[in-house]
Amino acid sequence: MLALAWKNLIRRPLRTLLTVTGLAVALALLVSIISFGEGYQRGLRRELDAMGMQMMLVPLGCPYDAAARVLKGRSLDSSLPESALDAARSDPDVALAAPIFAATMPRPAEGRTDLWVGVDETAQRMRPWWKLTAGSSFFQGEDSVLLGSEAAATELRKPGDRFYSPETGRSFRVCGVLERSGTSDDSQFFVPLATAQAMFKQPGRLTGIAIRLKDPARLKDASDRLQQVKGAQVVTVTEMIGVFLNLVGAARALIMAIAVITITISALSVFNTIMAGALERGREIGILRAIGFSRTDIFRLVAVESLALSLLGGALGTILAVIAGGMVESLARSYLPLASEVNLPPLTLSAVMQCLLLVLIVGLTAGCYPAYHASRQSPAQALRGD
Amino acid sequence: MIGQGSIVRAENLRKIYRRGAEDVVAVDNVSFEVAPGEFLAIVGPSGAGKSTLLQLIGVMDNPTSGKMSIAGSEVSGLSDAARTRLRRETIGFVFQHFGLLPTLTVAENIGLPLLLSRERSRDRVEFLLERVGLAHRRNHRPAELSGGEMQRVAIARALVNQPRFLLADEPTGNLDSVNSAAILRLFQELRQDGLTIIAVTHNEEFARSADRRLTLRDGKVVS
Ligand SMILES: Nc1ncnc2c1ncn2[C@@H]1O[C@H](COP(=O)(O)OP(=O)(O)OP(=O)(O)O)[C@@H](O)[C@H]1O
Ligand SMILES: [Mg+2]
Repeated sequence: MLALAWKNLIRRPLRTLLTVTGLAVALALLVSIISFGEGYQRGLRRELDAMGMQMMLVPLGCPYDAAARVLKGRSLDSSLPESALDAARSDPDVALAAPIFAATMPRPAEGRTDLWVGVDETAQRMRPWWKLTAGSSFFQGEDSVLLGSEAAATELRKPGDRFYSPETGRSFRVCGVLERSGTSDDSQFFVPLATAQAMFKQPGRLTGIAIRLKDPARLKDASDRLQQVKGAQVVTVTEMIGVFLNLVGAARALIMAIAVITITISALSVFNTIMAGALERGREIGILRAIGFSRTDIFRLVAVESLALSLLGGALGTILAVIAGGMVESLARSYLPLASEVNLPPLTLSAVMQCLLLVLIVGLTAGCYPAYHASRQSPAQALRGD
Repeated sequence: MIGQGSIVRAENLRKIYRRGAEDVVAVDNVSFEVAPGEFLAIVGPSGAGKSTLLQLIGVMDNPTSGKMSIAGSEVSGLSDAARTRLRRETIGFVFQHFGLLPTLTVAENIGLPLLLSRERSRDRVEFLLERVGLAHRRNHRPAELSGGEMQRVAIARALVNQPRFLLADEPTGNLDSVNSAAILRLFQELRQDGLTIIAVTHNEEFARSADRRLTLRDGKVVS
């Protein structure tokens, strides 16, 4: 039966190919979107969980934008006074308050922008994934610089080397190099907080403060109190995740809508192909009925054709998604906050399963009417001339 | 009196097609019987109702009124499923346009009805390929065959389920005289082997070689 259905499909190879390709493209799009969404969400949570922080103190303004920028290590137009750090550290519920001063340094000659991040010794405790390579140590003086693994690779520096920054006229000593962590830390330059502030001529200013509480259950009280700090506002991690997901969600909804439309069109195209095939073979089906194929047999024959066509589209779509997945990933990394800190799997199993299920539904619904129509064909049709 | 041993027995068969406002009486009060091993030719001018009668004998359609029995059991009023089973198990069909599936090879076409039964009888297909003299063509597609060869494939397919009788609608209607003669010879051989054959034909030679002829005109039996 399957062989019979298959032979009917390849009878019109071009029509079949076009239908399958259309469905495959639509599915690849959908699989990629679902996979990406799942991977991004999971990665984001893992990352923020690892930091063990519950909130951030950021300058007044759009809090989410600020949080995103700080987390991504971008500079901020506005800043916090260092007094906010004292306020945070003196709060009874705060276990750890880690100041961050982040600034970008354009390097037109090299065609890139470096990220300089000023931190103090709390940085290490806030980022448990940091591992120093052999011969490395944490800051040993004002002129220490700690390089992310990628930054070290591009600058060709190892621990103990000198490092000159022509833009600021400063000379550093590489105190250490971080092992690759797959986060945005890999490409950053970490320097002591005061050094960063001096380099960018913003003494006493901070871009943000990451806060870990002694008891996460006291989040509400602590955030209410810290909200009172002058020039600062509180963003909780939960809020951040929500906002990032919304941000991604808006873009996703659009692409999702496109994918749904394409799949609907592909389903219509499957319907059209199967229906045309069934109509073309009117007399052939009559003959099958005459020689003993029951209505159910005919229904099954046409339905199997539709399913085979759709599954073919599904299989091709999955392959396309694997190929395209890499591209989607790199594109997304450059546009989404935190995406670069997340290891995005190109495809998730559940996304593939969801889409294969969808393909089955498409195949069944698109094939249902043509199959029914064909099964109603009278066997007497076999005797009629053309 | 009509004998009990007949394979096909029709009593006052009538088939009326409703075409818009007017009714077409395609088969009008037809009674006849076919004994086992008999070769019956149904003849008559175009539009006489021959194909319609064949549809009724082949249980593809229910008569408007009258009775039809096949191998002793009444078939008018059977469900579609029961009629399908009857066609599959007891009747072999041969069509004017051969009715082969273009995507399947000769051997696959012959074995097509076997798809529906559990038993996959390769031997039966082989036997029939030899029987109709097309063993060397078993892997060819219908498009590569002559009309006469296609009709032999169709006859082999009709025989694959060992039917009680063969039903043919103008089996030589699309063939030249040489191929017609070959098909006629095959029918005669099958008749010799004891097969019951009912064939609609316009071919005089074909009709003459039958045991008996049933002539229709305007849906009625005239002789
Ligand atoms: N499905 C149908 N609906 C309406 N009228 C039909 C149908 N099939 C046949 N008829 C009419 O019934 C009559 C008998 O047709 P039928 O096909 O049985 O004749 P026939 O003897 O086989 O003719 P031919 O030798 O041309 O094949 C004709 O008038 C035909 O127009
Ligand atoms: Mg006819």
